[in-house]
Amino acid sequence: MRNTLLYIAIFLSLPLHGQMSIGTDTIKINEVVISRNKYNSDPAGYKKTTIDSSILVNYNNSNLSDMLSENTDIFIKSYGMGGTATPAFRGTEASQTLIDWNGININSPMLGQSDLSLIPVGLIDDIQICFGGGSMALNNGGIGGTINLITKPVWEKETLVSINTGTGSFGMYSGLIKVKTGNKKFQTVTKGYFQNAENNFRYLNAEIGSEPVWQTRTNSQVRQEDFIQELYLRNSNNIASARIWYQSADRNLPASLLTPPNTGEKQFDESLRTMLNYDAFRGTTNFSFTGAWMMSRLNYFNRLASIDSRNLSETLTLKAGLENPIGEYAKLKIVLDEQSNIIKSNNYNHYTTRNTATLTASVERNRNRFGTTILFREILDNSTLLIPDFSAGVQFRLIDNKAYYLKANISRNSKIPTMNDMFWVPGGNPDLKNEYALIYEISFEMSRKISDPLNIKYDLSVFRYNIKDMIEWHPGEYSYWTADNIQSVNTTGAESSVSLDYMHNKINASLKAGYSFTRADEGGSNIGNDISVGRQLMYIPENKANASFSFGYRNIYSSWVANFNGKRYITVDNSKYLPGYFINNLSTGIKFTLKSSSVDMNFNINNLFNINYQSIAFYPLPGRSYFVKILFQIVK
Amino acid sequence: MKNLIRLVLIYLMIVSCQKTPEFPNSKYTLGGGVFVVDEGNFKAGNGSLSFYSYDSSKIYNDLFYSVNGRPLGDVPNSMAIKGNSAYIIVNNSGKIEVIDQSTLKSTATITGLISPRNISFINDNKAYVSSLYSDSVTVINLINNSISGYINMRRTSESIAITGYKAFISNWAEGKEVMVINTLTDQVVDSITVGIEPESMAFDRNGMLWVLCNGGWTRDNYAELVEINPTTDYIEKTLVFPTKDDSPTCLKIDVLGKTLFYLNNGVRQMDITAAEIPSGTFINQESGEYFYKIGINPIDNDVLVTDAVDFVQQGYLLLYTSSGNLVSKLKAGVIPGSMCFRLTLNN
Repeated sequence: MRNTLLYIAIFLSLPLHGQMSIGTDTIKINEVVISRNKYNSDPAGYKKTTIDSSILVNYNNSNLSDMLSENTDIFIKSYGMGGTATPAFRGTEASQTLIDWNGININSPMLGQSDLSLIPVGLIDDIQICFGGGSMALNNGGIGGTINLITKPVWEKETLVSINTGTGSFGMYSGLIKVKTGNKKFQTVTKGYFQNAENNFRYLNAEIGSEPVWQTRTNSQVRQEDFIQELYLRNSNNIASARIWYQSADRNLPASLLTPPNTGEKQFDESLRTMLNYDAFRGTTNFSFTGAWMMSRLNYFNRLASIDSRNLSETLTLKAGLENPIGEYAKLKIVLDEQSNIIKSNNYNHYTTRNTATLTASVERNRNRFGTTILFREILDNSTLLIPDFSAGVQFRLIDNKAYYLKANISRNSKIPTMNDMFWVPGGNPDLKNEYALIYEISFEMSRKISDPLNIKYDLSVFRYNIKDMIEWHPGEYSYWTADNIQSVNTTGAESSVSLDYMHNKINASLKAGYSFTRADEGGSNIGNDISVGRQLMYIPENKANASFSFGYRNIYSSWVANFNGKRYITVDNSKYLPGYFINNLSTGIKFTLKSSSVDMNFNINNLFNINYQSIAFYPLPGRSYFVKILFQIVK
Repeated sequence: MKNLIRLVLIYLMIVSCQKTPEFPNSKYTLGGGVFVVDEGNFKAGNGSLSFYSYDSSKIYNDLFYSVNGRPLGDVPNSMAIKGNSAYIIVNNSGKIEVIDQSTLKSTATITGLISPRNISFINDNKAYVSSLYSDSVTVINLINNSISGYINMRRTSESIAITGYKAFISNWAEGKEVMVINTLTDQVVDSITVGIEPESMAFDRNGMLWVLCNGGWTRDNYAELVEINPTTDYIEKTLVFPTKDDSPTCLKIDVLGKTLFYLNNGVRQMDITAAEIPSGTFINQESGEYFYKIGINPIDNDVLVTDAVDFVQQGYLLLYTSSGNLVSKLKAGVIPGSMCFRLTLNN
């Protein structure tokens, strides 16, 4: 029993409350892309940002956790190199942020969350970040928001081969290979990624003796392999695609500074994700069909505590959409989404299944300077019809023909409980209600040319969430914990970002800065005299900021990325906290182009000032480290 | 916009630092009182040590950190005093912190234990430490504060009770036996099959050993109170709890060795001569409270209970008179657990 309790504690320790975010900027896309995926179109009145390949290419050898923490205001709770990393979007929990792959949710149905340290950025072409109610056009349950990882073709008659290899501190080496070929009607894309890291960095341990001592991180090795194959076909009225993504990651989990490092804790993750998509354009009506089958295995092992937990989940998703104009200015979208989960786990009493069907209807209208969106959703969870969700957004262009927008939206978004919340033994509660949030958001966005080579973009958003019936594990009547809908959380915050871009002759420069403020507190609980009511949730920084400056001249480029995370409370009564940290990274490189091939050599220094810091208490993060990489590319 | 950039820069420049708790008033922490081991959350490293002073009627929290400048560790489970030293068993850090019981300054750290739970002193030189996950009891040399050996029980261990040259060790986690060890030879000499998951033990005025068997978390079995004759190792009496939902823990006994106390949805008591488990509750657990551990003042029989609340926020130490009237409720650390009385000094 203790084993089981410990294991619950481990899983409970993962989804602590997190924070929120703002995407930094919208980046112009250079390549000509014909993507008519109708799930992803931009509804009026909502905040959405895209991080495209021009940023992502710098992170070809990194994971999504590093990229998001350096470029967005999404706070990442990271157990450090080798450990898990989960997102916290606008003060919500990791399970309230959805990670999608081309519009299909890939969060584990058991834990309800994704480990961002296992998603290699190099495999992804674009990342869409949909905030709050804006995520409802994609999925249900993304109360904080949705991070949509997009892989897509470039419809050109060309063959591209790119090889990216890198090596760096702490026994890290990784390789990424991409082969894309095809023509205007057919494309095939093959990607392979491999990463090996010892993560044996030195850190100053001030927690175990009266004098701090230097120690080396142990039991933190990671080995990961990914493979993606995509096929695309199209003609004038149809686009079809097939995608497959296999991933395997074997890692030892590093221990807290206060626990012995030799507990033999390790985790094996394996997943296979497959997806078929067909879009048809018939007159003014567009149809879209997606079928996805995903398998994910998570085996956790702790020798000391004799835990051997084996979990296998399978998810089948079928999604059908229709889009049709209504009159001259409006269009109607209807999406039916059916998802079934099958879980085999030695921590569940039996083979467990769940079926969720979602019907979403939305109308968007854009006329002159006004845009409006109304969305209505009904979820059938097994045989229970949930209270319908809705969202409404308005958008107003302040000045004709200028990109000054005022947006506002209000939403109700539900999240059904995770399978662990319902069926984990002991303590899972099959009678849980869904969590839901009322979300209010107002934002201002502008972009304008200051002088010919200089452009500015600015945005400011203010949001408020009232999250009700939050699921929390608490000590039950017997000797184990149980899940219940007992908490409510209110988050209020603001996000702002500014970017300046300059491009003239052989010089290009870009300066970006973002800041976010998040106040997330427990609104109420059923415990009398609960001292956590009204306090900032643990592990959610009130202040987060990031800034970057990049500069290129001819074939030399350099960039500086800085991010600041304010203090994070580590007790519910806010009596203790981890100090804020300010981390700087520098990158510089040189590019050579020879006819159809190019070579890009790049050198990175991470944590330039060798700051000693922790994202989670007693889990050290590395000091200054170096990484060298070479990107070799041929296009024919 | 300029203002915004300025604001961002100001925030970037703010460097906050961690608060250091004030040094406690040593006059009171030196005197008579009770230590409370605050377990903290698994893997969160927020375990701590509290002390309730009878002299000042106040509680002092986070003492280990404020005296030694470093965290106590991950999930401290129990504490025991021997001579001038106090031994804090830190379960998930696999260590024992040895401190001076008056100044609370660390004098030694014994590391390398596997999931240690409780310590019992055999004599001035030797102690046994039980283990949640290993199948051996660890033998500690108290002279040089080191591990001197292991006694392989082939079972996990929890509670230790010593009488004469016999140590009775309960096999709690997934077990149903009490093992008997000869403390001169450090050998297992006997085993007694009791109920499911024997969790805590106490000797009564007649020298009989009472063993509280929790019944296991799945509640498939009944909990039991078992009375063992430690001379013969035979079971004298077995009292079975009325329903499978009864999940009693934390057996204690009063000063006279006459009345047993335990937790089971509130504090319950039972006379050692009772023929069956009594149904009434001695102290009720109020809504929002979670009674976690109990302690009986070995001088005046006052009842002390820790309230873990929701196991996340700071809990409380509840002080009741021997007749069960609440005297005070004081805020302790996160998951206040085992208690260790220090009433001999200056009392």
